[in-house]
Amino acid sequence: MLSRLVLRAAPAALRALPPPPLPVGVLHATRQLHTTQQSLAPLPPLPEKGGEVRHGLIPEEFFQFLYPKTGVTGPYMLGTGLVLYLLSKEIYVINHETVAAACILSVIIYGVKRFGADVAAFADKLNEEKMAKALEVKNEAISSLQAAIDEEKKEQWRVEGRTYLFDAKRNNVAMLLEANYRERLMMVYNEVKKRLDYQVAMQTLKRQKEQDHMIQWVEKNVVQSITPQQQKESIAKCIMDLKALSKGAHAAL
Amino acid sequence: MAGRRAALKAVDWAAFAERVPPNQRAMYNALKTRNDALTARLAALPEKPPAIDWAYYKANVAKAGMVDEFQKKFSALKVPEPVDTQSAKIDAQEQEAAKSTAEYVQASKARIAQYEQQLQKLKNMIPFEQMTFEDLHEAFPETKLDKEKYPYWPHKPIADL
Repeated sequence: MLSRLVLRAAPAALRALPPPPLPVGVLHATRQLHTTQQSLAPLPPLPEKGGEVRHGLIPEEFFQFLYPKTGVTGPYMLGTGLVLYLLSKEIYVINHETVAAACILSVIIYGVKRFGADVAAFADKLNEEKMAKALEVKNEAISSLQAAIDEEKKEQWRVEGRTYLFDAKRNNVAMLLEANYRERLMMVYNEVKKRLDYQVAMQTLKRQKEQDHMIQWVEKNVVQSITPQQQKESIAKCIMDLKALSKGAHAAL
Repeated sequence: MAGRRAALKAVDWAAFAERVPPNQRAMYNALKTRNDALTARLAALPEKPPAIDWAYYKANVAKAGMVDEFQKKFSALKVPEPVDTQSAKIDAQEQEAAKSTAEYVQASKARIAQYEQQLQKLKNMIPFEQMTFEDLHEAFPETKLDKEKYPYWPHKPIADL
């Protein structure tokens, strides 16, 4: 009974003890296991094809491993020997499952040999399409960024042209001022000239009118002053003159 | 009359036209037509009005002293030059434009730096054939599936599939 108590108490006592300090060598051992760098990014490109395999099952390395000692036929002899050993010692018993296995395996192998390449090509094509889409997205992004950079540069170049704008504006203002000033000068000149010309024109008009009036008046008076006596005398004189003239004309002819 | 002869700077309209962005063409055309109109108007006016022939008028106008009076007043007359109210505004505009231009150029340069950075990132990306999904999420953060917000597959709203 006492021994049962001790036996029951032993595990509790063992648990109560502080855990034994791990030997330092264990820690070092765990660290040594990770000899290569951990995160190897980017991944090195995966190999295109899997390891070489003979008869679809046995890796080529096995044959190479046995070649120095047993030559080319070594692995085959080993394989045959193993199979015969298993069969003869009935370690592998031939029963109905064997036949089933043979049928299933032959169908599977036939299927893989016939359709394997096509299925692989189809799967590759799917993958290629995904890659192509991703690549297209990337190229588009690159080209759009390039275009954006060029646009920005062009806009900067454009902005440099603002001096032209302000020069043009100042030119406009200067031209406007100049034109206004000249217009004012011209206006002053025109007004003064108009007034002076008016005066001159008024004077000439007045003089003309006076002249005309005087001429008329003189004529009127002269006509009035011709008395009837003078009229007869002047008419007689005219007739005599005419006769003299006609004589002279006859003589000339 | 030196004050008013503000030298007209020759404006290279061809170079100016090159730099006008297409959405401001109309304003540029308006400015150009205005400039052309003013040039034509200025060219039509002579620089100085012709001189008045005082001798002729003195000989012909009978009113005594009128011509003399006119001559005296005419030579004493100073035509006021039009006051320039806009140049100050234009200068102020130019200052403002310089400032806003500097800002714009700076913002533009910042944008270019950003674009350059993204471009470099894209160009230095590893080819897709060598990427894992983690690398893809690193390169394009928008492809990362938010497993906290949508804890159940497909980890994004069904509408986004």
